[in-house]
Amino acid sequence: MFEFLFKYPLAAYQKGEFLFATGWPAWLLALLSALAAAGLAWHARRVRSRLQGLALCAVWTLQALSAALVLVLLWQPALAVQSLKNRQNAVAVLVDTSRSMSFGEGGVSRLEQAASALAERVLPALGEKFSVRLFGFSDGPERLPSLGAESLPAPGDSSALGESLLGVLRESTAVPLGAVLVASDGADNSGRFGRDAMAEIRKYGVPVHTIGVGRERIGGDIELSDVTVAAKALPRSRVSAQLTLRHDGQSETATRITVRDGSSVLVSKPVTLRPGETVRREWIDFGAGDPGVRDLVFAVEPVEGEEFDRNNARRRVLDVPRRRRRILYAEGEPRWQYKFMRRAVHKDASVQLVTMLRTSTNKFYRQGVDTPDELENGFPSEEEELFAYDALIVGSFEAAFFTPKQQVAIREFVSRRGGSLMMVAGPNGLGSGGWQHSEIVDVLPAALAPGETSFVRERASVELAPQGRDALVCRLDPDPARNAELWQEMPQVADFQELGDLKPAAVTLLNLRRGRDSLPLLVRHNYGRGRAAIFASGGSWRWRMGLPSDDERHDIFWRQLLRSLVANTAGTVRLSSDRSSYADESRVQLRAEVRDRTYTHAANARVSAVVTPEEGPPVTLDLRPSAGEPGLYEAEVDAPGFGVYRMEAVAHLGDERLGADSLHVRREGGVAEYFRPERNAGLLSRLASQTGGRYWELDELEGLPQEIRFSEAGITAREILDLWDMPALFFLLVMLRGAEWLLRRRRGVV
Amino acid sequence: MTLGRVRRSGPAIGLLLLGAVPVLTALQFWGGRRDGDPRAWDFDPDARAEFQFVRYAYGSGGGGGGWGRRRGGWRTDWPDAEYHLTNGIQRLTVIDTAYGGRFFDPMDEKLFDYPWVYAVEVGRWHLEEHEAARLREYLLRGGFLMVDDFHGPYEWASFMSSLQRVFPDRSVTEVPEDDPILHTLYDLDRRTQVPGIQYVWSGTTHEKGGYTPHWRGIYDDEGRLMVAINFNMDLGDAWEHADWPEYPENMTALAYRFAINYVIYAMTH
Repeated sequence: MFEFLFKYPLAAYQKGEFLFATGWPAWLLALLSALAAAGLAWHARRVRSRLQGLALCAVWTLQALSAALVLVLLWQPALAVQSLKNRQNAVAVLVDTSRSMSFGEGGVSRLEQAASALAERVLPALGEKFSVRLFGFSDGPERLPSLGAESLPAPGDSSALGESLLGVLRESTAVPLGAVLVASDGADNSGRFGRDAMAEIRKYGVPVHTIGVGRERIGGDIELSDVTVAAKALPRSRVSAQLTLRHDGQSETATRITVRDGSSVLVSKPVTLRPGETVRREWIDFGAGDPGVRDLVFAVEPVEGEEFDRNNARRRVLDVPRRRRRILYAEGEPRWQYKFMRRAVHKDASVQLVTMLRTSTNKFYRQGVDTPDELENGFPSEEEELFAYDALIVGSFEAAFFTPKQQVAIREFVSRRGGSLMMVAGPNGLGSGGWQHSEIVDVLPAALAPGETSFVRERASVELAPQGRDALVCRLDPDPARNAELWQEMPQVADFQELGDLKPAAVTLLNLRRGRDSLPLLVRHNYGRGRAAIFASGGSWRWRMGLPSDDERHDIFWRQLLRSLVANTAGTVRLSSDRSSYADESRVQLRAEVRDRTYTHAANARVSAVVTPEEGPPVTLDLRPSAGEPGLYEAEVDAPGFGVYRMEAVAHLGDERLGADSLHVRREGGVAEYFRPERNAGLLSRLASQTGGRYWELDELEGLPQEIRFSEAGITAREILDLWDMPALFFLLVMLRGAEWLLRRRRGVV
Repeated sequence: MTLGRVRRSGPAIGLLLLGAVPVLTALQFWGGRRDGDPRAWDFDPDARAEFQFVRYAYGSGGGGGGWGRRRGGWRTDWPDAEYHLTNGIQRLTVIDTAYGGRFFDPMDEKLFDYPWVYAVEVGRWHLEEHEAARLREYLLRGGFLMVDDFHGPYEWASFMSSLQRVFPDRSVTEVPEDDPILHTLYDLDRRTQVPGIQYVWSGTTHEKGGYTPHWRGIYDDEGRLMVAINFNMDLGDAWEHADWPEYPENMTALAYRFAINYVIYAMTH
């Protein structure tokens, strides 16, 4: 319709420049129009008529507009537009041949629909004016002789739309490429079609027209679109995973989520997806188990009639290293809290509590040390000695016990080393111990209430704070209601410490209730690279003595709390990858953050990595220093085979071995295409609009061959397109005159 | 006095003697408070100190608590032993210690608020099944029991008959020389027999045939001592008579050291 009225496609107007073909000045047109209007007004006043007032004004306006329109037509309006020269340009046609294009819809696959539409309605017209270069693409472009079934490749396991497009553009630099046409369902699962790739595509200046194929909504489908879980966990610790579920949200759907390690089910729980809730995030906890590598499968049970069930599961690798994390606990006086905290992690496979306890004025009792000389001289006085621990707990110790240098070392332990600090309330601790005037006051999550009275020996009940309900530290039972009940039943503590104002980013996980007053019991926040927490009571041991001997609540809580202190504490080398699971993607971006023994960036280190696939020989490679960040080293690793890859990086500075770290990633095949199987019209539209092309529906391709020629890429010519003879202008003139006639007729003049 | 006068005054003497029984008994019981600090009778469970000296007020087979329980051997050396020892703990360590002590019946729920308990003269103790079960639960939760002042094979057998009700499946073993309990603050050996007050007039360190001192104990599944047994010794007397010029000062000092090690061990293991 647009082209019928306006003679040319919309693209011509968008890209063209408006001008008057006669070359006469526009001001003259405006002047003559004004004179015509004035003349008509003069005439209307002179000639006596039955038309008066507003009707006369309306008639005069219609006449003036008609006169102006005729004058415009005399000036010969036109469009100057760059258009592709016939027979001198090429057009690349990319057809998505990935597996998702083989999904059937109405008995015909998406690929068949696209090939048929192109072959019947687009390619013949394009072939008359341009050289057509046909490509198929999944993880990369591939030239096709034709779109016939015999020429199409087998369905690919992934879709790299952005990279395939870039590949065609790069390959076509020697060809006068006028435009690109992409027929796809828009599923790019390479993970690399981001802003940078889009900017690079735009740089070529070639308009990309996209054709959307497939349904935009698939009813009844439940997809496990993502699983977020830590790559590493401490032995026998609890791990929390966040599952993101997508469904159409049309009706209430009951299903079940399950976590499996091989054939054994770790945990399973029912989930009800509510109407209108298209995205649901669900947390699920499970035990990390003994040291080793867990190949976990997270799955959503398919519902009846579900069309795609291969998008109901995701795999993740969980590394459970054998190393015990070491926590230094400095306690200023013998007390029951100390005893029961030690007992809670006595045989813990993941945490080693190294303690120094002041027993008399100048004597210390050490427990959990590795060697006889560990902590022999008391609390570490050098950073290197302190930084060897993963976390630090300070109990009922006055700040003045620590030298200024030791206090600074504690602050840097959190800020620079990335360790965790937890202070436990006591008669000599926190505000009563003068810590509010120490070097570490900024590190703590509370301002600290000063004075000797901040530690109070009175009873108080414990309760879960709102943010504690979701915290793994406070999880005594996977069921939230039962968990809250278990906390409510906890025996009272008989002492607590007032903390003063909490810092803005502090998170309170547990509270103490005294009558109407609520006081924070467990507070934490992040500081620098590390974390700091306060446990504001020395009386949690009553949860052990006040409950039956087979009740594990006290020990579970303290194990979880102490593990949380060390779970994210990195060593001198921290190895990471851009993802933990690679579905149909073989390139792993490896990054190693390297620091020396004082945890200062090691910019001149030598970092190498050994990549060991599940099957096949290991490969050794060097990581190169990052240009942007000192101490950061990067490498791209190819992981062609499926399975779990172990990657271990070792850093040296000269002859000194700084440290090592390892990680595991999983490489999968043939699964990516089943996720987000519906058409991604948003991506296709964005690609078209940002490159100067247009997004087309499969059943509206008639104007495509005509529109594709308006391009500034390739070999073009400036073309003048007359507008004076467009039907829309004549319709307008007729309408103006018709409106005047109707008006006169209604007033009885005609 | 003639026999006839005696016969005439017999009923009056009998009445006097009958009336004297409860008075003397009361004096025997309350006599313990003759120099006591009233704070020792403070049964507030929220006591304002971390460490409390708690006595285990066991029965002696007389059937239950109350008056009969209070007449038992559990209160031997009380309250001077507590006063002296807690004073010593305050002086020699940084433990926040309550001055004096307190006691609880075996079935008192408040016992669970105090993870350290002292039982004395356990050669005469008797625990009913339900009391033994409660003590077992107390120890398994993390409580610590120190027993003291019993001697010789007869009292050992008597002690064990009740202890076996507490832990039928755990054996009593000698505490080895390198056990942490002998080294938490003081490095102690096991060769010195700490005698009771009878040493002052008898000159012997042993009594009732208990010639050799033994430091024994019952361990939990993690190798931690739950019950510390001082057999053929009397640390309680050594604490109680710390202010007696006649009682050997070195024995009192040793008894303090053992007690401090026990307390620190109980608060660290």
